[in-house]
Amino acid sequence: MKRFLFWSVPIVTGLFFAAAGPSQEWTSLKEASRDIRSVKAEFLQKRYLQILTEPLRSEGRFFFYASGSLRWEYLSPLRSVMLQKGDTVQLYHFSEGVWKPEMIQAVESRRMVLAEINQWLQGRFDESKAFTHLYSPGPPVRVILAPREGINRFIHRIEIVLSARPGVIDRVEIEEPGGSRTSIEFRNVQINSSLPSGIFEKP
Amino acid sequence: MIRRKGLDICLLGILILSVGCIPLAETAPSPGSPDDLPGCYAIFPAGPWESVHKIEAIIRGGVSSSLLGVTKGDPSERRLHSLLLTPEGFILFDAELREGGIAVRKAVAPFDSPAFARGLMEDVTLLFLPPQARPTTWRKEADGTRICRWESHDDSCIEVRGSMDHGWRILRRDDQGEVTREISLNGPFVQGLAFHMELRASKPTSYRLRMTLLQAAP
Repeated sequence: MKRFLFWSVPIVTGLFFAAAGPSQEWTSLKEASRDIRSVKAEFLQKRYLQILTEPLRSEGRFFFYASGSLRWEYLSPLRSVMLQKGDTVQLYHFSEGVWKPEMIQAVESRRMVLAEINQWLQGRFDESKAFTHLYSPGPPVRVILAPREGINRFIHRIEIVLSARPGVIDRVEIEEPGGSRTSIEFRNVQINSSLPSGIFEKP
Repeated sequence: MIRRKGLDICLLGILILSVGCIPLAETAPSPGSPDDLPGCYAIFPAGPWESVHKIEAIIRGGVSSSLLGVTKGDPSERRLHSLLLTPEGFILFDAELREGGIAVRKAVAPFDSPAFARGLMEDVTLLFLPPQARPTTWRKEADGTRICRWESHDDSCIEVRGSMDHGWRILRRDDQGEVTREISLNGPFVQGLAFHMELRASKPTSYRLRMTLLQAAP
């Protein structure tokens, strides 16, 4: 269970396609995501650690295909990529001009998290064993995820700020016990654009 | 003939006794000029600092992992706080070195063994903190190369050698004189931290850490 946080960042990308809320808001958000076949976006991640005066900044991009494929890629300062297609999960890092398989794969924990994401993508938040959800109408509309027992040792709270554009989120804030937090801002989000072939299979 | 043989054995004995810390190919420098002593500390941060490094860890067989290393230190109190993070920002390891003891705040498999914590904090100490005592010997050669050596009572030693122009090396030798850690450092130096570092460990486990400085602040 404690490996769950390992995947907290990719998890929240799943929320591009589903968000939780009461009654009609909740339904309308799901409706807005219904026609999404693919998403690609860039992101800026800021990792605030109590040990550091300045946050650790990472930049990257991700690609999602609604059949269950995801490419979550960091371009700087470390170049690494996670590829998920169906049940297959792979992680690589870029070094000396080539992609190398990552030693710390943690595939089992990733599979577990992916199962959670699949539930979220279908709006089945009430079936999540990891989080409860709260809808905040805003504006901007926010979805707040509260961890259940076990996960709360590692995540205090996740807040997803939704864009006015249907099916898109602007920002994710992940708070941890002890004061550390992560902020991810998404930009240049493209919905249903064509994705390069092999993008979910090869680094 | 017998006398010659006895002399040879005696010389061999002296040689064996002396290899504990001293490289075989050279003689130990005698205590150097006080003016050259500060140069022995040139590659270590002089005051409190915090840093972020990109780390590629390579273990036997060429398997590798890409990590972020965050370190905060205070040399005057010999305090270190080190974190290892995945590229996603997940903390795999978090420990402090304080008053000679290690306090592990967080450790996730496969980084959760006491041996790993001890080994990592020893490596971080070797990278960022000079040995506590004054060097046993030091000298500056004609080409500007400095050689500083800290010998311990257990016959192990730490050696710092190099120059700002040609890069530096830190060597740790065990009581048999074998190099157990070799660190190469290349500038530019920011806040007393080398931009590029590579640590090669040979005992008890073989691995390499390639480190590139990403952020440094006082």
